[in-house]
This record gives sequence, C-alpha cells and structure tokens, in this order.
Amino acid sequence: MQPGENDSPRISRRTVLAGATMVPVAALTAAAQAPKTALTASERHTLDAFVDRLVPKDELGPGALEMGAANYIDLSLADYLAPEKASFVEGLAAVDAYARTQYDARFADLTPEKKDTVLTAMDNGTASGFPPNSRVFFNRVRRLTLEGMFCDPYYGGNKNFAGWDLIRYPGPRLAVGPEDQKMSTLPKPLHQSAYGSGHGH
Amino acid sequence: MALAMATNLKPVDVAVIGLGAAGGVAVLPLARAGLKVAGIEAGSWMDPRSFRPDEIHNNVRGMVTSVPKTKQEVPTVRDSPSVPARRLGNHPMMNAIGGTSIHYWAQSWRLKPWDFRARTEIQKRYGASAIPAGSTLEDWPVTYDELETWYDLVEHELGVSGKAGNIQGRIDPAGNIFEGPRQREYPMPPLRSTEFSEHMADAARKLGWHPFRPPAAINTQAYKGRPGCAYHGFCGTGGCHIGAKNSTAVTTIPEALKTKNLTIFDRAQVTRIVSASDGRVTGVNYLRGGQEYFQPARLVLLASYTYETSRLLLLSKSKAYPNGLSNNHSQVGRHYFAHWGTQGGGAVAALFPFDINVFYGLPAQGMAVDDWADDNYDHTGLGFVGGSSLHVHTEMHPIEAAAMNTFGRAPAWGSAWKAFVRQNGARWVTSYLQTSTFPYESIFLDLDPETRDPLGDPVCRVTTNPKTNEQRSVVYAQDKMEEWFRAAGAIEVLKVPPTGPALSTHAYGGTRMGDNPETNVVDRWGFSHEAPNLGILGASVMGTSGARNPTLTVQALAWRTADHLAQSWKTIAG
Repeated sequence: MQPGENDSPRISRRTVLAGATMVPVAALTAAAQAPKTALTASERHTLDAFVDRLVPKDELGPGALEMGAANYIDLSLADYLAPEKASFVEGLAAVDAYARTQYDARFADLTPEKKDTVLTAMDNGTASGFPPNSRVFFNRVRRLTLEGMFCDPYYGGNKNFAGWDLIRYPGPRLAVGPEDQKMSTLPKPLHQSAYGSGHGH
Repeated sequence: MALAMATNLKPVDVAVIGLGAAGGVAVLPLARAGLKVAGIEAGSWMDPRSFRPDEIHNNVRGMVTSVPKTKQEVPTVRDSPSVPARRLGNHPMMNAIGGTSIHYWAQSWRLKPWDFRARTEIQKRYGASAIPAGSTLEDWPVTYDELETWYDLVEHELGVSGKAGNIQGRIDPAGNIFEGPRQREYPMPPLRSTEFSEHMADAARKLGWHPFRPPAAINTQAYKGRPGCAYHGFCGTGGCHIGAKNSTAVTTIPEALKTKNLTIFDRAQVTRIVSASDGRVTGVNYLRGGQEYFQPARLVLLASYTYETSRLLLLSKSKAYPNGLSNNHSQVGRHYFAHWGTQGGGAVAALFPFDINVFYGLPAQGMAVDDWADDNYDHTGLGFVGGSSLHVHTEMHPIEAAAMNTFGRAPAWGSAWKAFVRQNGARWVTSYLQTSTFPYESIFLDLDPETRDPLGDPVCRVTTNPKTNEQRSVVYAQDKMEEWFRAAGAIEVLKVPPTGPALSTHAYGGTRMGDNPETNVVDRWGFSHEAPNLGILGASVMGTSGARNPTLTVQALAWRTADHLAQSWKTIAG
C-alpha cells in the first residue's frame, strides 16, 4: 500500500458560515457528554473559599466564586489538567493543614480576615507545609482563577460573562470593523460564547 | 531502525522532509518544473473549523501549536558543557501541513542589505575590534540584491500586505525608509491602522522617528480567491478560520498539488536520511502507522525546524558520514543562535491613563519604528553593534489582559486588584522588540545522550549563554521603547531585564550557508558541501538574524534553492 493523501480541506463558503455561527462540530460533540469534575466535596469547599478571597464579591459585582472560577478549575482537573490533579489536591490539603496550625480550624471556616492572613503568608512564600514553597501553589491557584474568570463560558467559568464585563472585554466577534478598534469608545459587549449557548459545561 | 524491514516505495526525483513554511514553499517551483516530488510530513492537514476564537484553546493550552510528537522531542538546554541540560517546557515545533506558518504572526519582513554583510560593514564603520568577542560572524555568500528576486516572488505568490518605503531607490516615508530597495510595491496595501496605532505613530513623529505599518503575509483584500483579514483577534498561535493568513497550507502547497507532481505522505515521521558510500544521499526512512518505509529519491531537501534539522543530520550516520550526515567538518549544530529581543525576555509594557482598546486585531497590525534597528544609527561609543526593530501591536485576549502586571499600583489579588483591572484591563499594551543576533563559538546544538524520544533517539541539546553585545543592544532598545511609550502619554513603563533566549520560535543556524566548507554546512545555493544531492531549507542556513521575523527570508531562500535545483537538475541530481 502506498500511503498518500492529497485532499486538502477547502476553505469554502460553507466553512465560513459554519464559523459565523461560532459552533464548531467538535463543540457539539463535546456538548453531548456530561461534564465531569475532579474534586471531592471537601476539596471543592476549600477551593471555593480560596478563590472567593482571591477575588471577592464587592460593590464592583460578582467575585471569582460567583463567576465560576472554582467550577472551571474542578472541571479542568478532570479533563485537560488531569495530570496536575494529584499535586493540586495535595496543595489544597496543605492549605487546610496550615490553617489548622495557625488557627486550629480548616481554611473555609476562618473569618475573612484570617483567610487573608493565610493567603498573604502563602503569597509571601512563608506558609509551611508546601513543597517546594507556598508561593508556587498560591500562584498556580491565582493563575487558574484568572483563567476561570476570563475564559469562554464553554469551560465552566466567566458565568454570565461577568469576567469579560469586569475588564470591559467586548467578547469574541468574527468580523471586527474599524469602529470596534477605537480608543475612545470600547465596542458594546457581545455576550456570546464561541461555542453557542447549548454547551455542556 | 532495521532497514531490511522497510517497505521500498517508488523512487521520486525529490523527497522534501517537512511541509512547513520552507518545504511548503519549495515544492511549488519544483512541481512546476515537472519534477516528481514526495512531500513527507509528520503532521497532517488541519481543519480550519478547529481554528476557534477561544483563548483557552489557542493560547493557554496551545491546541493549535502543540502536537504529541513534538512534545516528546523538545530540546534540552544548558548554559555550558559543564552543567547538565534540562527540559524547560513545551516548545511549538509544529507538525502539520503548513507547519508553523499556520499559527505564526505572519510578519513578513525582508532582511536589510546590512544583515547580509554585517561583518564587513561593522569593520568598515567601527573597526575590526567592534566584532563581538567570541563570535563566529561571517558575511553571507548571498547579498540582499541577489535575494531580492525571490523576496518579490514569495511576496506575490503567497500574498504579503505592506507599504514599500524604497522602490528602486525612491524613498516613500509612508513605508519603511530604511529598507533595502525593492523592484515594486507590495501586492496588497498594509493592514489597517487603529486609533491607537496612529496615536503611537504621532508620538514617534514628535520624536523625529519614522513610523510605518509593518508587512504581513495576511490578506488585506481578496487575493487569489481568499478573503481579506477579519481582524477578529485570534491570529497569534491560532489558525485563520477564513484563510486570510497566507500559510503554505492555503497557498503554495495546494498550488503544487494542482500540478499532480507533488504527492503528500502525511503522518510520516522521518527517522533517517540514508547515504551511500560515495557520499550521496539515496532517500529517507520514515515511519507511518507503525510501518517503516524507505522512500528512494535522487535528491533530498531537508526542511525541518532548526532543532530537528541538526538532530536528523547528526542521527543519520553512515560509512561516508561517521559523525552524522554532512558533518565531516564538524559544522552541523555550530553557529546556532536564537533571537534576542522580546523573545529573549526583553519585554517592555506600558500603562496609559486612557483606554487604548487593543483587544481585537492581530499581532501583525500595529506601528513599527526602524530608526533603532540594525546599523541605522551611529553605534560609536555604545559598546555594541546591531540594533532592534520596535513594534507595538493589537490582539490582547481577556485572560492575558487580566493577568497584567499591576505596575506597582495595586496588589495582585483582593478587591483592590479587582478595581485595578476594572480600570486598566483596556489601558495597557506590550511591545515586540527584535534584536540583531550573532553566532558565537560557545553556542551550539548537539545530541543529548541523557534524553531520548520514544523511538530511543537522543533529542537535540542546546548549549547557550548570554552575550554582552546582544544584552546591551536589547537594553538600549528598551530605553528607546520607553521613550516612545512616554511620548505617547504612558504613565508607567515596565522593562524586564533581558536574560537571553533559550528555545525560540526564531532559531537560526546549525547548518549555516557559506562558501567556506570549513565553517559552513551548505553552499551559497543551500546544498551540502559534502553530500551534493542534499539541500537544506529553513532558518538553519541563516548566519545573522537581523531585527526581523525570519519567515519571509526563509521562504525566499527556499524558493531560490528550488529554482537553482530545477535549473541545474542534471548537474545536481547526477
């Protein structure tokens, strides 16, 4: 048998229109599967409390928790980030262990002030019990929280487009005109996922 | 690899290894000349429907740029032979028909005449002592004027948009006044301006500089049956869903297929280039679907990425080449270097007290300044040679925007951070600096005996360390970039001290082009000094980087090598 393949997928008008509705076939397939999460209720409880203090709900609107950042992380750890799950769960356990050494309670049960004291120690790299140091895990949770706040809602975060609204990102558009690139006026936000509305997450 | 088990395929005239930015261009002139070409590519066609306006997909998880095979072949890096090499993370070496030209920024610059003759020009203007210590810099065996024909061909065949600054010596300040002379205007006008890019242009003019819109292999109007750019903001590290980015997958490769002279063997991983005792290559071995094949060819063109090109040569040992193919002068892997500038960690970011809105657009859309590039200014007393192009561009995704540095004005979390990104997420921008980089004796590629790929072959090992000349050059350019941002009203500018590149998407050398076989692997036409029917395409043949993205030069050289081959077929193919 001679291997060989000369069939180029053509960029046809049909492809462009399929793109215009922003619902790729792959997304429709993914939508048919029930989303899986990775964390136990207890682990998720700690993570919820963590992201809630990283970006709290306040007069500017919903925080990371309300935007679904913890949900994004939980879903991702069962999916693309599965290779990272074990170390992430260890990190969450270390947060609770450190909270116990400081305040004799698990992290989620602390007052907001005490939670912030724990997170500050982690951010400074001075909280004990984290290999190699607490800053590495703190920064990883912070990074994934940002992903969960500002991702396409398809991935389970950025609920009601609250993340994009916070930073005034006007949402993905397939065609962008000169008026959408003005300095003086940001375009009107387009609350639309690249995968349409019927997505699985 | 047990050759005895390989299935022998029908001989072809030319086997091209890799159908990316370089090989994907070379197949067109070869096929048009009537040569039977086998395009052997480790990846396959990418479906335009998988190119989504999705930051997680494209940028965070690298779903367009990373494929399983290359993840297992990422080179290791060390500072010097006295320390162990280690793997730093993934690197977007691409396997796909179209290769990296699918997801690249598509900035399509010509090098400047100076870049081809840097050694001579530096000596002439500043004296022999100005050549950076330890460098192995040589003039190219090709001049800008010789390559101009092929720059022009590629610009028109693939489609490059831009504004000429120098047509046959006539200078037009709407374009880059520092560029070398070109025979005619670009085939398409440049990508459109934005209010912010015009604002930056005004600031540059206030400083007495010469801003212009840089060239890109992106349609700005319908061209050869494909539409103009939609400016939707998901170009960098993503593919174009409408085919407005002129990757070889939508330009030269489909054109070559029309001739019926090109056959593509996709998902085919080349394991060795085979050579006979007389020193000529006879074909290539590859794996496809677990089966081993031998593709006989009268001529082989190696067009992998820089790291894989040196690796495959070093792995392809034979009686005629006991230290690796075309390596009897021990030059394979030498004169390697990666681009200094923003790619080498020398970033410059700015915060403005007003919205600038760079969310949409594309990295090739913006404003460039060349006043501080190459040798466009007097370096006397500066302690370095070469310079940097400065480029401010659009396309900022929401996660990237929110992950902004707070410029010392807010903490990194909590309500105060939230208020800060609320105000400033649409008010900051980065810049792209590219710095003339030279080859050095102590920077090179070889095989890593400690780290192997799943086939058991050693991966490429990079030995690299910072050089004073390039470090000073980047710091100087960062100061100029700050000056430009401040003139445009920036209230904060953040400059990251450059540490130098390790792995890079702008990787050069390893099979340098030059007349002297003692210091170069390929001759002035791109053919091996040792194996006469082996040609090499890619930035691995380039001896200097200029202050430019390499791709257009790579493509012009690839076309030129293919043209030379077609014209001298009987002599070269034997």
